[in-house]
Amino acid sequence: MSAFLTLTAANIRSFVRDRTALFWTFAFPVIFILLFGAIFSGGGTPSYNVGWVDQDGSAASALLRNGFAGVPLLKLKDGSLSASLDAMRKGSLNGVVVVPKGYGAAVAAARGSPAAAAGAGAAATTGSSTAGPGTVPLDVYTDPSQQTSSATIRQVVAQVVSTTNLALLGGRPILATVDRSLQTQDLSNAAFLVPGILGMALMQLGVFGAVPLVAQREKLILKRLGATPLPRWTLVGSNVVLRLLIGIGQAVLILGIGVAVFGVTVLGALWLMVATVVLGALTFISIGYVVASFARTEDAANGIVQVIQFPMMFLSGVFFPIEIMPSLLRPVAAVLPLTYLGDALRQVMVGGSPYAPLPLDLGILAAWFVVCLAISARFFRWE
Amino acid sequence: MTSGDDAPVIEVVGLHKRYGDVLAVDGISFEVRRGEIFGLLGPNGAGKTTTVEILEGLRRPDNGTVHVLGVNAAHAPEQVKQRIGVQLQTAALYPFLTVTEVLELFRSFYARSRPTEWLVEAVDLGERRHAQTRQLSGGQRQRLSVALALVNEPELVFLDEPTTGMDPQARRSLWDLVLRLRSEGTSVLLTTHYMEEAEQLCDRVAVMDHGHVLELGTVQELVTRRFRERAVHFDTLPGLDLAELGRLPQVKRAVVEDGETVLYTSDVAATIGALLARTETLGRDPENLGIRRATLEDVFLDLTGHALRE
Repeated sequence: MSAFLTLTAANIRSFVRDRTALFWTFAFPVIFILLFGAIFSGGGTPSYNVGWVDQDGSAASALLRNGFAGVPLLKLKDGSLSASLDAMRKGSLNGVVVVPKGYGAAVAAARGSPAAAAGAGAAATTGSSTAGPGTVPLDVYTDPSQQTSSATIRQVVAQVVSTTNLALLGGRPILATVDRSLQTQDLSNAAFLVPGILGMALMQLGVFGAVPLVAQREKLILKRLGATPLPRWTLVGSNVVLRLLIGIGQAVLILGIGVAVFGVTVLGALWLMVATVVLGALTFISIGYVVASFARTEDAANGIVQVIQFPMMFLSGVFFPIEIMPSLLRPVAAVLPLTYLGDALRQVMVGGSPYAPLPLDLGILAAWFVVCLAISARFFRWE
Repeated sequence: MTSGDDAPVIEVVGLHKRYGDVLAVDGISFEVRRGEIFGLLGPNGAGKTTTVEILEGLRRPDNGTVHVLGVNAAHAPEQVKQRIGVQLQTAALYPFLTVTEVLELFRSFYARSRPTEWLVEAVDLGERRHAQTRQLSGGQRQRLSVALALVNEPELVFLDEPTTGMDPQARRSLWDLVLRLRSEGTSVLLTTHYMEEAEQLCDRVAVMDHGHVLELGTVQELVTRRFRERAVHFDTLPGLDLAELGRLPQVKRAVVEDGETVLYTSDVAATIGALLARTETLGRDPENLGIRRATLEDVFLDLTGHALRE
């Protein structure tokens, strides 16, 4: 036992002193989570820059501008028509809205004759580009090559126009929308991402463990240790304990960032989280041992590890739900152990709709662990 | 303990080990006596490493028995490992640990151990004790590996080419350490590429090749058994062929090695006289003419057809 403790302390000391390895072990998942968190959910809703060309300059047009400025999706930039179109060509504007001369006069006229304005309102709400009699054409420039921004801008403009028309006509809205959400996938992007990234980190921690193992064998270090009376289970056990400790450290770090930076709420029981992290780490550590059983050189081990970990990273629902993957790839996801670790961690930590029931997730991980353990027990070589 | 004071520390009888088609060790037998330094010599692939690894409990023999310190190494390797010391040529073990940390770690593996300070001083690593092993020079790393072999105060130490990569001064000091161990009653089995090392240190040597022990005995015995003759040597002269030199009086054998002609003769005076008479007809004197006893190097070359260092 004292040999086990001394060996484990030596392993921890070695790990902590290897600054490069230490940095990447903890920095890599953190970088991932910050990066993907920012891409998928960061910065809130997107906004579009829209050039505002007021050729009328009336009180009515200023009022209309207020209506547009109140939409959070849009950022208005005032300018002349030519300057705004130029800016749009250069890419600094996503669209341009032009209020033509005579808009103020038309508003005044409409107030005087509601019937004429009613026709105008109907035309505007259908989104037709043909201006009927008495209506004022509001030119909206968008870029068809940018599908999302052009569709959004058109939609927002149509909405504002119809609201304005309604207000001008003095009518009251009959229908109003109320936002309600039905709990199908209640996870924010960050809440989805945090368990996924943790699963990815545990996967890499375990699978990459093959590389130093093979290096130690190549350099005859395993052979030298084998010449001492130290039992082999002590060697393996100490190695596994080190990796488990690192895995728990990563879990604390990743969850901490999820909670502190992205406001993820953690709802699972602590013991269940720890158990899932440990089982997941053990599963991938055993896969690392399988790789080390068959790789003869450090370079070979590195290659095999990349071949295993890279597809797993992208096909196991770490970054996006498996449901939105092409159906061709879904059977691949269904056999990868990371799919089940990510799913289990997600269920245990933040809830959300499961890919598989939790006992099935854990069962599949345990099955991978047992099979890999048996394979490495049979084929692992100490020299 | 099963072994008495004068029982051999190593007893190998009819040892065989095969790897696939290769018969690495082909029925060898030898003994190492308590308190002696025993040298195992042979070219690469001779079967030395396999033999040593079986003795260390790292491999199992196919056939034959191996007793180390009275214990059957195939049946109870853990018991053997507890009492022997093993030095291997490895890269830095635990590159991020310091010299004392690695020694402390290895001490924890054994039931009994020497003080770390003793070990550090024994291999002259006192000034480097707090250096991480990745910062050590090749020779210092080698000395650390020797210290690791002594951690458990072993009765028998295996040294695998212990002075490879050391400068002459470090080599001398390691030889002193090995002799000191012997004087304290430790037995040593040593493999080496250096003839001088074997001649200086080994009480007895075995020469191995192709899985067989070819010769076994003291260095002196091996030399006189093969070479009752002395060697007359000189820089090779053009115009003198070996066949002709072989026919000079009392010459048993003539060889050319690295630009030097060596005549093994049972009568130095007769041979040199005839040689000088012959070279005079060529109008030249043999350069660097000298006489020496045959050495272990000659024995080795004669037995294996290789120089020891190859």
